[in-house]
Amino acid sequence: MIKPSKHPFGRKTPMNERIIETLLFSAAALSVAVTVGIVIVLVKESFLFFKSPEVDLWGFLSGRKWQPMVGRFGILPLVNATLTTSVIAMSLGIPVGLCVAVYLSEYASDKTRGLLKPILEILAGVPTIVYGYFALTFMTPLLRGIFGENTVEIYNTASAGLVIGILVLPMIATLAEDAIGAVPKELRLAAYALGGTKLETVFKVVIPAALSGLSATFLLALSRAIGETMIVALAAGAGPNLTFNPFKAAETITGYIVRISGGDVSYNSVDYNSIFALGLVLFLITFTLNLISRKISEKFHQEYE
Amino acid sequence: MRKQFIVSLVLLLALSLPLVAGGAKEVAPAVDPNKLAWVEGPTVLGLPGINPLKVTGNIITAGSSTVFPLSERIAERFKEEGYKGTITIDSIGSGAGFERFTVAGETDIANASRGIKASEIEAAGKIGRTPIEFRVGTDALAVTVSKSNTFLKNATKAELAKIFSTAKTWSDVNPSWPNEQIRRFIPGTDSGTFDYFVEAIFKSNAEPILSATNLQMSEDDNILVQGIEGSPYAVGFFGYAYYAENAATLNIINIEGIEPTATSVDNASYPLARPLFIYSDAKIMREKPQVAAFIDFYLSYVNEEIVNVGYFPANEKALETGRQAWLEAMKGTY
Repeated sequence: MIKPSKHPFGRKTPMNERIIETLLFSAAALSVAVTVGIVIVLVKESFLFFKSPEVDLWGFLSGRKWQPMVGRFGILPLVNATLTTSVIAMSLGIPVGLCVAVYLSEYASDKTRGLLKPILEILAGVPTIVYGYFALTFMTPLLRGIFGENTVEIYNTASAGLVIGILVLPMIATLAEDAIGAVPKELRLAAYALGGTKLETVFKVVIPAALSGLSATFLLALSRAIGETMIVALAAGAGPNLTFNPFKAAETITGYIVRISGGDVSYNSVDYNSIFALGLVLFLITFTLNLISRKISEKFHQEYE
Repeated sequence: MRKQFIVSLVLLLALSLPLVAGGAKEVAPAVDPNKLAWVEGPTVLGLPGINPLKVTGNIITAGSSTVFPLSERIAERFKEEGYKGTITIDSIGSGAGFERFTVAGETDIANASRGIKASEIEAAGKIGRTPIEFRVGTDALAVTVSKSNTFLKNATKAELAKIFSTAKTWSDVNPSWPNEQIRRFIPGTDSGTFDYFVEAIFKSNAEPILSATNLQMSEDDNILVQGIEGSPYAVGFFGYAYYAENAATLNIINIEGIEPTATSVDNASYPLARPLFIYSDAKIMREKPQVAAFIDFYLSYVNEEIVNVGYFPANEKALETGRQAWLEAMKGTY
């Protein structure tokens, strides 16, 4: 595995250097081992779940009711709630994050940027449980005030989704700013030379040129939103519910996992094993998104080199 | 090289010493159990008096979220009177509490809002435990609605069965009630409260209630309280103490025309009254005298605290049975 790099002057690599290299390699190997371990546990426990007689794979993927206690294992209500919160989060996070990124990289003076960036970083450092209570005690009453107490339930996916949007905002802003910053200066200058205004340059030249980097950013943010747990556990609701109404309570995949592992069912039951199957589904979704995002950003790097 | 080896060997030995010493310490009380240090003063209701100042060691309990506020209150008083150790009280539902007590064997006491099942006693036997039941009080299960609900004051058991299962709107249950969707907030499936409700209203068949629409479930009763407060069309149930704590924002409804009061609960005319228990094991109580002390304290003073917590005292006969069980378990140790 390790190829000790040849010493620049052709001398033999000294012993202590090798030790350091080995240490560094084991650090890298450890993270791989942990990942592999997690996948093995997930697959093994999910296998237990799918092996039990009351579960069949097709029913799991297409069933419209998730009630493990009475033997109904249809993942759709949970997936639907996860998608609802994520889509809401993205519809807030992407436009606002993109605007912040454009402003920071194209318009802001060094002084404003120096002020704004640390604030964004603070936003990124707020623990998600705080966001969860923010959703429950601020966003939900706000939505109920606007749309009426009877339309908006106390636990609802809209409130959780909007707050997840705020959560991923700094991530989108930072990564999108990097992507926009990577667009070569020549493109901007060419646009100005053709008589483009600043606004035209930004939206017709720079953003399209950065599009692949931006899409990778959005996909990463989406997988973060899908995996978000604390906010949905607190604000979205605590019962699986197949609904497209964002003002109704519904439980996401992560919300269900956290409720069940918090002592809701006993360890040797099908419902307990079900959370591993859900974890596997979640893992596959975010893993696929990350892979796609990686592929896109690889392509983007080749374009301007 | 050799020197390094010796140095590391010595280091290893030095590190392992405290481990060995720690292990030896824990066994000590079991070796000499014939005198309990904390027994002091006159007996209370037939149980030995306790000096909490002399109780040492930690106590681990887990179980019912209904019993939780009561156990918490007793633990607070135990500490106020001088107990210096740590009492852990996990509020995870009766079923999960029994699981930790009988399968994993991690806890000293299981809190429960239902009696132990035969299968759970059997599980405990496999790890060498024989659960002892101590009745500590009575709970009236409270069916509550928001203060802003103006139509629901009373429900029959048959109406409750509809409200918590097939009915989609309130008018499905009673045409004079509004044509609005019912929003349900109920305890999770591992709570004794859920089991009890299903037993009392649905003859132990959980299917109808779990198939209800607009159903929110949580082991955290505060989440339920918040949900019910949130809409005039919401309804839910939990232990009476959580209603008592939130009486400013919630209304309790009468069942079959009967309001839960000390009298109606005691003479069992209120249909949703049920016993509260704590469970332990004689071996644990003897090996960990702090556990015996805490249960002694619990049984001695529970009736002074229980009304403030929001529950109702158990009848004297049940309490006396618990005290006798304690004396039986601890025979000859003090």
